[in-house]
Amino acid sequence: MGPGLVWGVALGAVLWAPPAWAADVAHGKALFAGCIACHSETPDALGPSLKGVVGRKAGSLEDFRYSSAMKRADFNWDAANLRDYLQDPQAKVKGNHMPFSGYANLVDADDVIAYLQTYK
Amino acid sequence: MATKLKEIDAVVIGMGWAGGVMARELTLAGLNVVGLERGPDRRPAQDFALPGIRDELKYQQRLELMVDNSIDTITFRNRAEQMALPIRRWSAFLPGEGVGGTGNHWGAAHWRFQPDDFHLRSYLQERYGAKAVPDTMTIQDWPVSYDELEPHYDRFDKVCGVSGKAGNIKGRKIQGGNVFEGSRNSEYPNRPMPSSEGGAMFADTARSLGYHPFPIPFSAASAPYKNIYGVTMGACQACGFCTRTACEANAKASSVTTIMPALRQEPKFELRTRVFVSKLVYDKTAKRVTGVLYTDLKTGVEYEQPAGIVVLSAFVFTNTHMLLHSGIGEPYDHATGKGQVGRNYCYQFEAPAAAFFYDKELNPYMGSPGGGVAIDDFNNASFDHAGLGFFGGGYFVASSGGAPPIDGRAVPAGTPSWGGQWKRETVKWYYHAAHFNTQGSVYAHRDNYMDIDPTYRDALGRPLLRLTYNGTDNDHAMSRYLLSRLEGIIKAMGPSHYEMRPRPRNFTIVPYQSTHNAGGTIMGTDPGNSVVNRYLQAWDAHNLFVMGASTFPQQNGYNPTGTLGALALWSADKIKNSYLKNPGPLVHA
Repeated sequence: MGPGLVWGVALGAVLWAPPAWAADVAHGKALFAGCIACHSETPDALGPSLKGVVGRKAGSLEDFRYSSAMKRADFNWDAANLRDYLQDPQAKVKGNHMPFSGYANLVDADDVIAYLQTYK
Repeated sequence: MATKLKEIDAVVIGMGWAGGVMARELTLAGLNVVGLERGPDRRPAQDFALPGIRDELKYQQRLELMVDNSIDTITFRNRAEQMALPIRRWSAFLPGEGVGGTGNHWGAAHWRFQPDDFHLRSYLQERYGAKAVPDTMTIQDWPVSYDELEPHYDRFDKVCGVSGKAGNIKGRKIQGGNVFEGSRNSEYPNRPMPSSEGGAMFADTARSLGYHPFPIPFSAASAPYKNIYGVTMGACQACGFCTRTACEANAKASSVTTIMPALRQEPKFELRTRVFVSKLVYDKTAKRVTGVLYTDLKTGVEYEQPAGIVVLSAFVFTNTHMLLHSGIGEPYDHATGKGQVGRNYCYQFEAPAAAFFYDKELNPYMGSPGGGVAIDDFNNASFDHAGLGFFGGGYFVASSGGAPPIDGRAVPAGTPSWGGQWKRETVKWYYHAAHFNTQGSVYAHRDNYMDIDPTYRDALGRPLLRLTYNGTDNDHAMSRYLLSRLEGIIKAMGPSHYEMRPRPRNFTIVPYQSTHNAGGTIMGTDPGNSVVNRYLQAWDAHNLFVMGASTFPQQNGYNPTGTLGALALWSADKIKNSYLKNPGPLVHA
């Protein structure tokens, strides 16, 4: 099986242009440790649960009080949107409340997305 | 008549740092614990979330997280012959209220005291002569040593996820850390925060002058951190809002962010908020506190909560007031110098400076207190005091980060405080101001103390606590010396303009200076020189443990919280390992 076929399968499965390198799920999980102080699964969490976030409509969990900016965000969290958001949250959803300035390194954002795809 | 509730193993009064630590440690030891808190509960998801938490008007200016002066306050005067008046709006110091207490809005400077601070009187007498300490300076040795506290300092670092750089690990001095600190068992849990531009400039100049700069130890996680109670902290985002408000990123340590998440899952713990503890029920014959009286502020109903162990862990003023009002221990009598409760009140003698660098962009809109750079070359035992005419000292810190939109508008002295000229000057200088502080010690003096006010009362009708305090000759001389040394460094930094800001002769309750109050229920070796013993157990009630800076015999040239937390863990350890097996006095005087 050649590399072209692998990419073809991947494209069909996730509907987005993959990075030119293989995303590192383990690295993404390690980086995600930086998120769970807020994005925990407790009822008192500062941020919304990210379980199953890939594919979810932005600002759609009923038990979380989102910012107006996030409620207005009219898109689904596919990998491309997540990628834009994790690089520069304020550029993607201006006025959202997440106190995080974004990953400077695109590889980090892609690795976290790869981990989020397994986080269900 | 108070409604009497069912007896509980332990009751904790005040759910700030010390109360949070004790509640967690005692529940881990198997005790059922009730936490009583006069203010509201504080839940990060509702109370600390963006964007509300960045409302500077609400938090920094209108003091949302502080004690409500219309319910309780203290009266103040400079000298015993004056009439004290109530503080109707906090300013010089800001006692916090609600779960987390003052620990919610602190600047998170997380220090240890020097080993010699713990035997201060002996140290000064050995080094400078038996008669060196003036009669009026009522400093004394702590009944616990640095080495005894070190494991608990270490543990408290790991509760808080402190970010910093050690300067002395197991006796090995490390350049880049604080080489004047006592020996540490381990490095800080997290790497230091990046230095602010002003701090980095200060570091370069201080190093070139032969001093020893290092990043200030900061009680917030610079990277995600799981603490010893299993609670996850986020990474500091250097948002620029920190002191006087709470953390939006779960990064700044407080009992709310590092302990309460574990206690909220703990079936042995019950939290009761908006309850005002008015009195400890004291059995003088049995030398025991049988319980506490409190009023539910939501209903006005009074309750008596009997308890096996009572932990008094409120702010300095409340701790002292509670003992005086409950008739526990002998009140300090200023005229005769007799009595212990209320004695050795000590403030912190902080004197600041500002420097303006018109050709440098210092990015003040972001940053954290952890971006400060300190030198400790002028603390108590760091330098020789021979011939100087004072004792004590303090660290210096420099920073340029975190200037919020209302309060962060430094302008040179002489600028009008409003109008067009003020606006032009704030724009001109906003990017270019660096700030400095000297964290001066306050050595106890017989004329500085707390007692019961004869005139004013709180919302429950209890007489208020009265504070009598003024800066002493020793502390003014100490502060002038620190400022003169700091001025030498600032000059060498080459600013366009700078200002040293010494404190006026008489202490005033405005403007803000420091929330570091200490003393009143001090710890010591016997009932003749203290209110509590080395395990913070009251000499006059063996089941009463008094926590916090009220137990410090005097104030050292550092922020108090690191030591306060270590002491709470030290006391908890002794309660778990000795007191529970054999309740009674832990020290026989």
